[in-house]
Amino acid sequence: MVTSRFRALQPYLLSAPALAVIGLLFLIPSTYNVVLAFQSLSPYQSPRDAEAVGFENFADLWSSGDLPHAAFNTVFWLTAMTVVLRLLAGLGLALALQSPILRRWKLRGLSRTIILIPWMVPQVVAIAAWRWILDGRSGVLNQVLSGFGIIDGGIPFLAQTSTVWWSIIAIIVWRELPFVVMVLVAGLQSIPSEQYEAASVDGAGRWISLRSVTLPNLRPVLTIVVLVTVIQTFNNFVYVWLTTGGGPGNATAVLATELYTAAFFDNELGAGAAIGLLMTVIMAIFAVIYLRVTATKEDA
Amino acid sequence: MAASPQLAAQGATTAARAPRRRSRESRRPRDLLFLIPFGLVLAVIAFPVVWMLYSSLRPAQEISQGLTWHTVFSGLSLDSYARLFTETNFGRYLPNSIIVCVLSTAITVVIAVLAGFALSRFSFRAKPLMMLVLVATQLLPFVVLITPVYLFFAELRLLNSFAGLIIVYVAITTPLATLLMTGFLNAVPRTLDEAARIDGASTLTVIARVIAPLVWPGIVTVAVTAFIAMWDEFLFAQVFLTSESLKTVQVGIAGLFGEYGTDWGVVMAASVLAALPTILLFSLLQRRLVAGMTAGAVKE
Repeated sequence: MVTSRFRALQPYLLSAPALAVIGLLFLIPSTYNVVLAFQSLSPYQSPRDAEAVGFENFADLWSSGDLPHAAFNTVFWLTAMTVVLRLLAGLGLALALQSPILRRWKLRGLSRTIILIPWMVPQVVAIAAWRWILDGRSGVLNQVLSGFGIIDGGIPFLAQTSTVWWSIIAIIVWRELPFVVMVLVAGLQSIPSEQYEAASVDGAGRWISLRSVTLPNLRPVLTIVVLVTVIQTFNNFVYVWLTTGGGPGNATAVLATELYTAAFFDNELGAGAAIGLLMTVIMAIFAVIYLRVTATKEDA
Repeated sequence: MAASPQLAAQGATTAARAPRRRSRESRRPRDLLFLIPFGLVLAVIAFPVVWMLYSSLRPAQEISQGLTWHTVFSGLSLDSYARLFTETNFGRYLPNSIIVCVLSTAITVVIAVLAGFALSRFSFRAKPLMMLVLVATQLLPFVVLITPVYLFFAELRLLNSFAGLIIVYVAITTPLATLLMTGFLNAVPRTLDEAARIDGASTLTVIARVIAPLVWPGIVTVAVTAFIAMWDEFLFAQVFLTSESLKTVQVGIAGLFGEYGTDWGVVMAASVLAALPTILLFSLLQRRLVAGMTAGAVKE
């Protein structure tokens, strides 16, 4: 009797440490973040001294005018552009890795390893390496461009508004491409070869079999890749913070850097929490709509 | 109408494929039309890492000067590394990162094995909910957690301590580690631990004596995955550790970017050292890690 009750409790006891850390560091903080978003509090105050301010944090963010700008940057430049470029380049590289030509020349393993390299490099290190490549005075990109006579004088890639987003995009796509390639390769490998044979029997060329065999089969994998990369990139703080800090001016301000600045530079933890809440809501809405749209497509 | 000759050709190539694949003649010159552009793409992908390594070895007075063919390999030295350890606190950051990441990894692995065992071997009422929570936490933005967790840790006096950072690192890696561990444990036949149980072994004995030795490769994969994620982490380390003597490697690199002019040789040396552990671990366990990380992200 006692032992059987103990046995029923066992899975809970075994999971207790995992549930404790998840509860204490994910569930309680994200709930508390909602409360905090409606309070005014500085990092030097105790949470007990927090002042309830209603929607003031949101009103202030709205009236400062920075928020729509940062939201647009986050959605369009940081997330949409890099995700689309990653998908296109990732699909190209994944198909190239599967090519029989690489197998003939026994280059598949080597190519795969080279494609994985950026993923093995920590994000901060990737940013450091690219900041040096893109350096306005002596970066290698400027030296090559002026060496070929394409430009004279260095381009400060990360310090002028016309190039800064493209530079950040290059860094993100470079570092985060391998993940997309590897997931797509796994997806491609699971497509039964009979389907390609059937398509070629029907006279389908390369382009048609890509459209009618490869892409439909990849759809479930693509759905998840898009979801994961969108959420991770949307919430990413490091790329913008360590390349430009949101500059020049506030040209590259994104929601994550605004949150960090509000909370830890302007000492308004409530304002930071409000931005955090807004980000969570945007991502939740995105995930729900996105999953619904992709699900109905699969039914049709 | 094109179907029937194609069908015949199809049959012919299938018949001829096996012996032809092995012959060297199949490496056609036409393949170069694919291999040369593909090789260029790979070169672009590998370049930033090669350049980082090379820049860390170039002499300080030459690093900002253009390259000529005569000076490519002249004067390469470890001087930047020497300056990194004498002129910055990097010598301190490295052991800090190692201590925090090794301890956090060990704790995460224990938690993940216990919870993974519960999820793999028991069916209990909260199991579906727990799986959902594990997946959902992977999608929750860390940047949103930063303000509430900062406040909790300030109250608990865990800021500016390794203990605080270790708790955070254990928490952020536990969900993925548990999901991966459950997968590895599901692959171990239940009959083995059931036999040990009939012999009277307790659950913890079964895990330590029967299960752990069997899933050793899985445990290594989970440990390395967690270690890499912690080694890469920047945001929490940046916010929680303000004391210079406690900073981790990634925060240390970010501190090396100068407001006016950066010593790029030193930054590249620091970057090489910060990337080394991940690159080594990745190369040792490449296939398992890629499978694990892509499966982890794509789970559900």
